[in-house]
Amino acid sequence: MIRFENLTKIYRGIKAVDDLNLQIPQGTIFGFIGPNGAGKTTTIKMMAGVLRPTRGRIYIDGLDIAKEPSKVKRIIGFIPDRPFLYERLSGLEFLRFKAGLYGMKEDRLDERIWDLLGLFELREWADELIESYSHGMKQRLIIAASMIHDPQVIIVDEPMVGLDPKGAKLVKEIFRQWAGEGATVFISTHTLALAQEICQQIAIVDKGRIVASGTSEDLRKQAGVEGDLERTFLKITEGVAGK
Amino acid sequence: MFRLLISPKFVGFKNGLKRSRSKIKIKVLTLTGTGILFWLALFFLSCRVLIYFSSQEIIGDILARHLLAMALLIFFSLLIFSHIITALSNLYISQDLELCHSSPARLTEIFLSRSFYTVIDSSWMLLVFGLPVMMAYGFVYHAGLDYYLSLIHVSFPLIIIAASLGIMLIMVLVRFFPAQRARDIIMFLSLILIVILYLLFRFLRPERLVNPETFISVAQYLGALKAPDSPYLPSHWATEILWARLIKYTGGHVLNHLLLWSTAFALVVIDIWMAGLIYFDGFSRAQEAKRRSRTGRKILERIVSVITRPLGPDMTSLIAKDVRTFFRDNSQWSQLLLLGALVVVYLYNFSVLPLERSPIRSIYLQNALSFLNIGLAGFVISALSVRFIFPAVSSEGQAFWIILSSPLSPRRFLWSKFLAYLLPMLVLAEMLIIYTNYLLKVTPFMMALSSVTIFFLVFGIVALGVGLGAVYPNFRHENIAQVATGFGGLIYMIISSVFIALVIMLEAGPVYTILSTHFRGEEITHLQWIWIVGSFIMVIFLNIFAVQRPMAAGLKAINGYEG
Repeated sequence: MIRFENLTKIYRGIKAVDDLNLQIPQGTIFGFIGPNGAGKTTTIKMMAGVLRPTRGRIYIDGLDIAKEPSKVKRIIGFIPDRPFLYERLSGLEFLRFKAGLYGMKEDRLDERIWDLLGLFELREWADELIESYSHGMKQRLIIAASMIHDPQVIIVDEPMVGLDPKGAKLVKEIFRQWAGEGATVFISTHTLALAQEICQQIAIVDKGRIVASGTSEDLRKQAGVEGDLERTFLKITEGVAGK
Repeated sequence: MFRLLISPKFVGFKNGLKRSRSKIKIKVLTLTGTGILFWLALFFLSCRVLIYFSSQEIIGDILARHLLAMALLIFFSLLIFSHIITALSNLYISQDLELCHSSPARLTEIFLSRSFYTVIDSSWMLLVFGLPVMMAYGFVYHAGLDYYLSLIHVSFPLIIIAASLGIMLIMVLVRFFPAQRARDIIMFLSLILIVILYLLFRFLRPERLVNPETFISVAQYLGALKAPDSPYLPSHWATEILWARLIKYTGGHVLNHLLLWSTAFALVVIDIWMAGLIYFDGFSRAQEAKRRSRTGRKILERIVSVITRPLGPDMTSLIAKDVRTFFRDNSQWSQLLLLGALVVVYLYNFSVLPLERSPIRSIYLQNALSFLNIGLAGFVISALSVRFIFPAVSSEGQAFWIILSSPLSPRRFLWSKFLAYLLPMLVLAEMLIIYTNYLLKVTPFMMALSSVTIFFLVFGIVALGVGLGAVYPNFRHENIAQVATGFGGLIYMIISSVFIALVIMLEAGPVYTILSTHFRGEEITHLQWIWIVGSFIMVIFLNIFAVQRPMAAGLKAINGYEG
């Protein structure tokens, strides 16, 4: 379970995230959507422990990330939007390194790594240096690395960037499978079709605040529009801009 | 279009100055202040050398002219070298090149604008630091305004020639190798060249030139002085022009001016012509993905894995990753060649010390030198640390999010970096100290004292490198070698030197007392004992402080990091 309490982040006097309060039940695929500069990536980075909140708390599985960062990070998997990696490691070495950071022991580690490389169709490239990978391959490697320690919460920033249709389909299936097994998936995205397709709960964020939340159907009712999520989103965010 | 293409650099620089925060302004001021101090020091040093030369009858002017020819040749060579390095980045690797090449700008315009960037990036530093030497000539020889005007007049074609040659070479190189591989080749070759030049220079023993009596004849002496000069070199033409102005000789320089400018123009034309033929082809090849397999260094990895096992899987993984990436980054490991040359010359210097000819009692001198040696070895370790340890945190680059989002705490992260570098530095420092002390044939007391002192100094030097590296990180570097040359690197060298000096100052007095009372056969008084013990306790505290403070500051910086 994920819970935000008055979560706020201020950068040089500008509120990027403004007093967020949210509760996401376990086993949910949660979509966090909003226009550029709405505070999505800032929120995600605070959840992943990469950024410190100015105020407020984030609880993951009942643990406060500010108080017990190592324990929280052990149960989350973070997939950032830009695949910056150690370019001079091979894919295989990178996965071993990532496993080491999570304190995983050698027993059956290679088997696990090999399975993940197979799942993401990277076996052929396992011994190549990451610097020779394409953008999409790096993204697949990051997703594989985020799964290595079987996290209970997956935090994803723009999961489909750089993925080809086959890769995108695979990732969607994996997210559904994780949620089915009880993991919580928190996805920040611009791709409204993706949110509509796989997210059970959605929050629309604008100017650092949640302006609407619920299922796709709830949001449609709140906005008072018919049709797809795009129309709902535009209606709600334009309404906020008008204010 | 050319003006438009070069505008981002200037607008960016202007915005950087205008919008910089007070912290950055302090940084700029500190760097400028240090630059001015260095500039003045170089000016006064050059003046002193030239005044000494001019006091020598007959050979004084010959020496000064040779020095001018050598200085200009070195400046010219360094200019070509720095243009090669920056041209590769500006013409082939920079990220904004895609934008330029996809615009409707003509290829010649893009090439010229990037060449202009290259000239600006490569020349300013050398020009600034070459200037004090040239100004010293003007000052010592009471040169008129015409000398300073000629200086400006000569600098321009010299820079254009160096730039054209550098750019030409890089275009040819990238035509045959991909840009990344060309960079590796240049880095490697230039390092080998520097090492060879450095070793050659040292083994030629230039200190002999200060003492002409050691030569049998004047001819032999002048032969030893002879600078590598040729009438076909642009630096020779520049020397001729400037020397004529210095000694107030009015004739003969028109030809040299013509040679300089015509060569500069001709090379620019050839460069543009070559760019039309091969530049875009090279740029296109530079974009192609390269498939590079990992290279095995199984033995080293196994050793690292065994040594680091007690630290736990997280720290072991981090150290193993650092070792792998270090040896796969050519710009990193090839610096080990420099390290090797530095150590060889350091040891060689001690082996040729003429201790037996010294008027001071040898036993005193040996021990004093051994003491001085602690400082020198400390300084060598600091110089290496600024290259290898200070960039350790920055070496995570933009992949630092992996560490931040992992369960590895910032504290364990920093201590992993500390431990990874501590052992090799300890081995190196002890090797330097013990071997040089053996060459100096010092007393067992001094051998023990200097070995223990350097042992603890290394802890402080390494902690300062890791800690300050975290306080002044640069995660967005294009090349890790840039990190050491920034503001943080300068601060590290200053603090590290002060730390070494303080330890030596605290130990020097008590050690002198112990040695002198021992040689005179006297007893050490109670007061002297208190002073000696007090000094050594302060050394211990200083070492603890040098480890604890920078690591705490580094930890605070990482905890507050907001990438």
